[in-house]
Amino acid sequence: MELLVTLRKKELLNKIGSLVDGVIVGEHFTSGYNYTDDDLKSIRDYCYTARLKYYIVLDNFITEDEEMMLHKYLDLIADLDPDGIFFHDLGVMEAAKVHGLFSKLIYDGKTVLCNSLDSAFMLTKGIDSVMISREITLEEIYEIAKNTDGRINMQIFGHQRLSYSRRKFLSNYFHQINKKYDYLNKESLYLIEEQRDYKMPIVEDDNGTYIYSDYIFEMFLEISDLRPYLKRGIIETRFIDNDNFLVQVCRDYHRVNDSNKEFIRDALLYNYPYEYSTGYLYQKTNKTKDE
Amino acid sequence: MNKIELLAPAKDLKKAKIAIMYGADAVYVGGKFYSLRSRASNFDLEDLKELSEFAKKYSAKVYVTVNIVFHDDDYYGIKEYLKYLGDIGIDAVIISSLALIPIVKKVAPNMECHISTQLSSLNSSAVRTLQSFGADRIVLAREASMEQIERISNKVDVPLEVFIHGGMCSNFSGRCVLSNRMTLRDANRGGCAHSCRWKYRLYDKDKLISDPDCLMSMSSKDLRASAYIERMIRCRVASLKIEGRMKSEYYIGQVVRTYRKMIDEIYANGYLSNKRLAYYDEELSKAENRPSDDGFLSGDCDNSKHLYGVNGAGVTHDYVAYVHGYDDEKNKAIVEVKNVFVKSEELEVFGPDLDNKRFVLEHMYDENGEEIVLANKPTQIIYLDIPFRVDEPAMIRKVAHHDH
Repeated sequence: MELLVTLRKKELLNKIGSLVDGVIVGEHFTSGYNYTDDDLKSIRDYCYTARLKYYIVLDNFITEDEEMMLHKYLDLIADLDPDGIFFHDLGVMEAAKVHGLFSKLIYDGKTVLCNSLDSAFMLTKGIDSVMISREITLEEIYEIAKNTDGRINMQIFGHQRLSYSRRKFLSNYFHQINKKYDYLNKESLYLIEEQRDYKMPIVEDDNGTYIYSDYIFEMFLEISDLRPYLKRGIIETRFIDNDNFLVQVCRDYHRVNDSNKEFIRDALLYNYPYEYSTGYLYQKTNKTKDE
Repeated sequence: MNKIELLAPAKDLKKAKIAIMYGADAVYVGGKFYSLRSRASNFDLEDLKELSEFAKKYSAKVYVTVNIVFHDDDYYGIKEYLKYLGDIGIDAVIISSLALIPIVKKVAPNMECHISTQLSSLNSSAVRTLQSFGADRIVLAREASMEQIERISNKVDVPLEVFIHGGMCSNFSGRCVLSNRMTLRDANRGGCAHSCRWKYRLYDKDKLISDPDCLMSMSSKDLRASAYIERMIRCRVASLKIEGRMKSEYYIGQVVRTYRKMIDEIYANGYLSNKRLAYYDEELSKAENRPSDDGFLSGDCDNSKHLYGVNGAGVTHDYVAYVHGYDDEKNKAIVEVKNVFVKSEELEVFGPDLDNKRFVLEHMYDENGEEIVLANKPTQIIYLDIPFRVDEPAMIRKVAHHDH
């Protein structure tokens, strides 16, 4: 398994470069990253020198109006020559063929890739691999891995995306209550539902609004057994602004094994007392209204 | 050129038949398994067969939703189910699991695969990609504007389906698992708790920045695309889809009938005047229980397209009776009570071939022939003096106050 980290700020590269196998970056048009073309090139150069893998993410859905921009961006990506391209919009498959990038594609269905058959179906199309959804159990992950020759990737740490809207919820809300507030691209905002107490990060950019889990997903106890079955494991750093913590997380995922996993997990949770969860690894989300 | 299809939802067999009799060219329904509206899915295998046979008499089509986001265990029995659907003449399945395409082609080769809006197709490349996978029709994402729909339609040769009416997910369909987090009910397997319609406090770090008197909500107004039907016909959209598999027979009847007449008028005259559009909008509003707008069709959704003050849909009691038949000798309609109404009220009957005909209710009688002045027992069969013939499946409603 390659250990990858979503690189939200360039300064982290020096600190984590020796602890992970590669980084994932993107730019504003179709992801929650704000890197310029030059940033993407300089990070690529750094990775090349440091022998780090370098991945690009196209995280958003693309409207018909944006297809030209997509092709322009894929031109740039072809020049950057990444090791892989995570994509969400199925239209990228057709566009990537034009730019000779098809075999580098990694389908990230976000919430809709929860089973072996769909994963295997996408792989028959000739893409590199798929990113499985977060809403599945550990048992299901093993099953999918076995049925796809391990050509699966998954998020192994960090806040999990709960929703994605083209609507600009924050802009609209502040307009509704007639309040001026600096909120765009700001990652310090969170929601609490009036009957609950979860603090769910919310961020709006030019492409829409995204809500993430209140908890930080972790799987330190599971990863050493699962590692041989995964192609890539991804540490998501969004909404985590403590660099020391992130470095520690990368170090811990780098060194965790069967004999030290409890110690590593307990130490991290003790030293960095955030809200953690194993998400749906042991919890099915199949309740009905009556339950 | 094929006439555009009007596609209606149905919760159960009765509503599906009503949708067809009121003018739907096709209905979409869910079985008891594999369907996103698990609470709305009251069709067992026999019901599906009966519906298929019924629809064929009206030259209507039946599509079955098999649109949950499958987990491995959920596929149990799916091949047999799909084969059964093909065998009983179901015209298409609406799917979000792409792996089902080759399975459908193998076990039910006459059945089409329509790709659910769950896959959020927003551009022509995505549409062509899905077509290359074997899809026979693509339901576009509700986030597409009318201009984008026109441009996509011009660039693809696979039939497109577009939502025109009803509830809207405020997030991209299928890409929201708020319900999973907050209730452990899987939004993508029929358990959505509609968490987007709840109210939320908004903080920046530890500072409350939302207005306590108007909490934040993601709740969207319903969609009403009446003003765009003409353009959708012109740009060769294949199917116009009404949302609402949880909705009442009254909603189904009124909304289907209104769009049916609107579409037919556009084809007959080549256009729809503003005056006629206003009339049809007024008709649609009779079945609305939540404010509506044109969603993304006119572009981005600003705050006017959100609901901040109310959590969900209100309930209207205008629909008072369902007509089961008419006794010609006694000039009495046999009706089933739906909501309270009283003697001397002015009422309005409408049906597939009956246009908002009004009467004042002079007399009504219970099952024993005793005259009554108040009908207040839902499902009770009673008899109304109506001075003209009415037939099943006509419906009776109160005359809205503003109509006087």
